[in-house]
Amino acid sequence: MDRREFLRQVAGWSAGALLASPLFQITPELMAAERPLPKVAIGTGGDITAFVQRVLAPLGGMKAFVKPGNRVVVKPNIGWDRRPEQAADTNPEVVKAVVSLALAAGAKEVLVFDNTCNEERRCYHQSGIKPVLEGMKNVRCDYIDKRKFVPVDISKGKSIHKWLFYRDALEADCYINVPVAKHHSLARLTIGLKNIMGVIGGYRGEIHQNIGQNLADLNTVIRPAVTIVDATRILLRNGPQGGSLRDVKVLNTILASPDVVAADAVATTLFGLKPAEIPATRAAAAMGLGEMNLARIQLIRV
Amino acid sequence: MKYRPTTRTFRRLSQFLFLVLFLVLFRKTDYSGSDTLPYAVNLFFRWDPLVAATVMLAARKVILILLPSLFVILLTVVLGRVFCGWICPMGTLLDWLDKGIHPPEHATVHLRKIKYLLLIVLLISSAFSLQLIGFLDPFSLLVRGAAFSIDPMLNWLFTGFFDTIYAHAPAVADHVTEPIYSVLKNGLLPFRQSFYFLSSFSLMILIAIGALEKLGKRFWCRNLCPLGALLAVFSRWSFFRRIPATSCKNCPQCAPNCRMNAFDPDTGKLHHEECNLCMDCVDDCVNQSPRFAFTRRSNHEPVNLGRRAFLGSALAGIALPVAAKVNAGPKTPNPFLLRPPGVENEEEFLSLCVRCGECMKVCIENALQPCFFESGYQGMFSPRLVPRLGYCEFNCTLCGQVCPTGAIPKLLLQAKQKAVIGIAVFDVNRCLPYANGIPCMVCEEHCPTSKKAILFRDKLVIDRKGEEVVVKQPYVVEDLCIGCGICENKCPLPGASAIRVLTANKGPGGNSGYGG
Repeated sequence: MDRREFLRQVAGWSAGALLASPLFQITPELMAAERPLPKVAIGTGGDITAFVQRVLAPLGGMKAFVKPGNRVVVKPNIGWDRRPEQAADTNPEVVKAVVSLALAAGAKEVLVFDNTCNEERRCYHQSGIKPVLEGMKNVRCDYIDKRKFVPVDISKGKSIHKWLFYRDALEADCYINVPVAKHHSLARLTIGLKNIMGVIGGYRGEIHQNIGQNLADLNTVIRPAVTIVDATRILLRNGPQGGSLRDVKVLNTILASPDVVAADAVATTLFGLKPAEIPATRAAAAMGLGEMNLARIQLIRV
Repeated sequence: MKYRPTTRTFRRLSQFLFLVLFLVLFRKTDYSGSDTLPYAVNLFFRWDPLVAATVMLAARKVILILLPSLFVILLTVVLGRVFCGWICPMGTLLDWLDKGIHPPEHATVHLRKIKYLLLIVLLISSAFSLQLIGFLDPFSLLVRGAAFSIDPMLNWLFTGFFDTIYAHAPAVADHVTEPIYSVLKNGLLPFRQSFYFLSSFSLMILIAIGALEKLGKRFWCRNLCPLGALLAVFSRWSFFRRIPATSCKNCPQCAPNCRMNAFDPDTGKLHHEECNLCMDCVDDCVNQSPRFAFTRRSNHEPVNLGRRAFLGSALAGIALPVAAKVNAGPKTPNPFLLRPPGVENEEEFLSLCVRCGECMKVCIENALQPCFFESGYQGMFSPRLVPRLGYCEFNCTLCGQVCPTGAIPKLLLQAKQKAVIGIAVFDVNRCLPYANGIPCMVCEEHCPTSKKAILFRDKLVIDRKGEEVVVKQPYVVEDLCIGCGICENKCPLPGASAIRVLTANKGPGGNSGYGG
C-alpha cells in the first residue's frame, strides 16, 4: 500500500465512521381502541419508603414494573441548585425509596441522572439526591456524559421530528419517572411530562417556543413504566426553581400511575387547576399518550 | 556500594514534594460537593511576601490572611534563600528544564540587578495603588499558565483521545479505554473542559521564561524574579551560610556550576544573597570541602545597583501610577466589563488583585475570564464575568473564598446573593416575544432570585403571519436583578444573546455620563 492509497483508505474509513451515526427507530406502539380505565393511586403521609410502597401497591407493587435482572432508570428532577425543602427538585427520600424498591424487586442496576439546568455537581449535591444514594450497591448516580446523547427520529412528532436523547434512558429495561410537581411560568405546571426534559440534549431552550406540543412529541419516544409524582412539597409560585420557602406548600402526598398523562392530570388538581389548562397534558392526551379526563381515571386513595 | 543520600537528594525531594503540593492545591481549586473549600488552596499566594508587600502597600492596611508570608520572611532571615532553592515550584520546573536545555556555563552577571530594579518599580507603584505584580510574580505566572492553558490543553487531548475511541472504535475497545478514562477523570483531569481567553498568551509567557534558560541556568531567578529580589534583600541578614565564602582558586568546580551564578567572576567571592542554598557545591567538591553552617555574618560586598539605575526605577515607580491616573479609559467604562460578585470599586479592585488566576480557576461555570486590554494594560489578567460563556452560580461563593488578597470579598452566601454584578437589559429587536411574537421564557425560567427579576407582561402583538396574538413579553425588575448573567447564558438565540448584562451604576464615581 503506497502513501496515496493509505490516505485514500483513511479518508474513506473515517467518512464512513462519521456518517454512520447511531439511529434509534422507535416503533409506534399499538393503539388499542378500547382501553381499561387507567389507575392512579394517591396517598399522604408517613415514613417515605413504606409510603411509596403503599401507593404502588394498588398498581401491583414495584414488581409489576421491575422484573428481576432489569436495568432500571429512575429519573428524578435534579434540575436546580436548590435544597430539598425548597421543592425545586424531587425529594431525595422519595428517590431513595423508589431506588430501594426497584432493587428489592430484583433490578440488576439502577441508574439515577438528570440533565441539569444549574451546574451539575451543585445540583446533584445540593438537592440531596447524590448524598442520599451514596454507598447503595448497584446504584449509579453519575453526571450526564455528553457523549451518550444520540439522535432519535420522532416519527409520531407533530412539532419536532428529531432530537437528541440520552442513551441510558432509551436502553433502560424499565424507566421510572419520578418528577416533582411544581409551578412553571410558561408550562403552568411541570410534572411528569415535562420531566422528560432531563433526558434530552441539544439546545433545550428551543423546546419552549411551542412547549405543550413539543413536550408531547418528546414523550412519544420514552414511555415511563410508571410515573411516581412527588408532591410531598409543592412549589406554588416562582417556579420552576423557587428559592423561597414562602412559595412551598407541604402536602405529604405521593401519587403514581402507569399512565403519565393521568398522573399529571390528577397532580394538576393539587394546585387547584384543571388538567386541560396545562398545554402539555392537553397535547399529550390529544395524541393518545394517556387519559386526562378525570372522570375516566380510576382514582385509588390509599 | 552502599547508597548514601547527599544533600542533593534531600533538596530534590523537597523540591518535588512542594511541586506536588502546588499541583494538588491547583487540582483542589474546584468545587468538591461542599459549599466551602476544605483546603487553603491559595497557600502559595498567602505566603508570598511580594504579594503581601504590594497588596498591603496598595491597601494601606494589614491584611490578615497574608500573614503566612511572615513565615517565608523569617525562614529567609534565618536560612537565606532556601525558598528559591528548595521550595519554589517555578525554580523546580526550571531546574528540570535544564536537563534538556543545557544552559551555558559562563553566563553574564550584569543582568542580576534587573530584578532589584523591577522590585523597586513594583513596590513604589503599588504604594501609589498601581498593582503590576501580576506581570512578574512567579506563582501568578505559573497558576495562570497552568489554569488558562496547560490544564485545559491536557484535558482536551485526553478527552479527545478517549472520546474518539468511544465514538468510532468497536464497542470492545470501550472495555479497555473507558475504565482508564474514568480513573483519569476521577483524579488527574479536571471535572470539565474549560476555555479561557489569553490561553495562548499565558502559555507563551511560560515558554519564554523556559526559553531564557538557554542564556543561563535559572535565568528567571537570577535576573528577573522580583520575589527572588525581595528574598535576597532579607537573606542579607541570614546567618546560615557557606564556608568558605569564596571559591577555590583555579578549581573549575563550584563557580561555573553554580545554578545561581553566585560567585564573583573576578574575585571568586560568594554573593551570599544570590545563593539559594542548593548545596551542589558541597556535594560536588573534589577539593577541600566547603560546608554550610550557622555562622556570624561576614562583611560582604553590598549590592551596587548604581545610583542612576536606582533613581530611574524609583521614578518609573512613581511615573507609572500617575500615567495611569490620566488614562482616559476609566472615563469611558466598558459597559460589558463585569467584575466578580462583591467587587464594588474598580480602582480599589485593581489595586488589590494580584492576577493570581485562582478565581478564574475555581469558577465552576468557567464564567470568570482574564481581561486583556478591556481595563487598560494595568488590568490585564484581572477577572471579569463573561456571561455568554458562563454565568455566576447563585449559590456559589468560591471566587471570594480563593482570593488571597480580599480583592474579591469573601462574602457569606446571603450577602453574595445580593451583590450586584451588573444589570440585565433586553434587546427587544431580537428577543423572540418582542421581535417575532413567539413565546419564550428561558431567561425567566432560569432567573435565580426568589422573587424573580424577570417578569412578564401580556401583550397583543402581530406575529410573523400578520395575525394578532397575545404573547408574554419579559421585562427586567431592576431592583431585583443582580446581573448573574444566567439569562444571557441560557438565551436560546444563536450568537449574541437577546438579553445582556451591563455594568450597573454603583454610586458616585462609579460611572460617567450626565453629571459624571
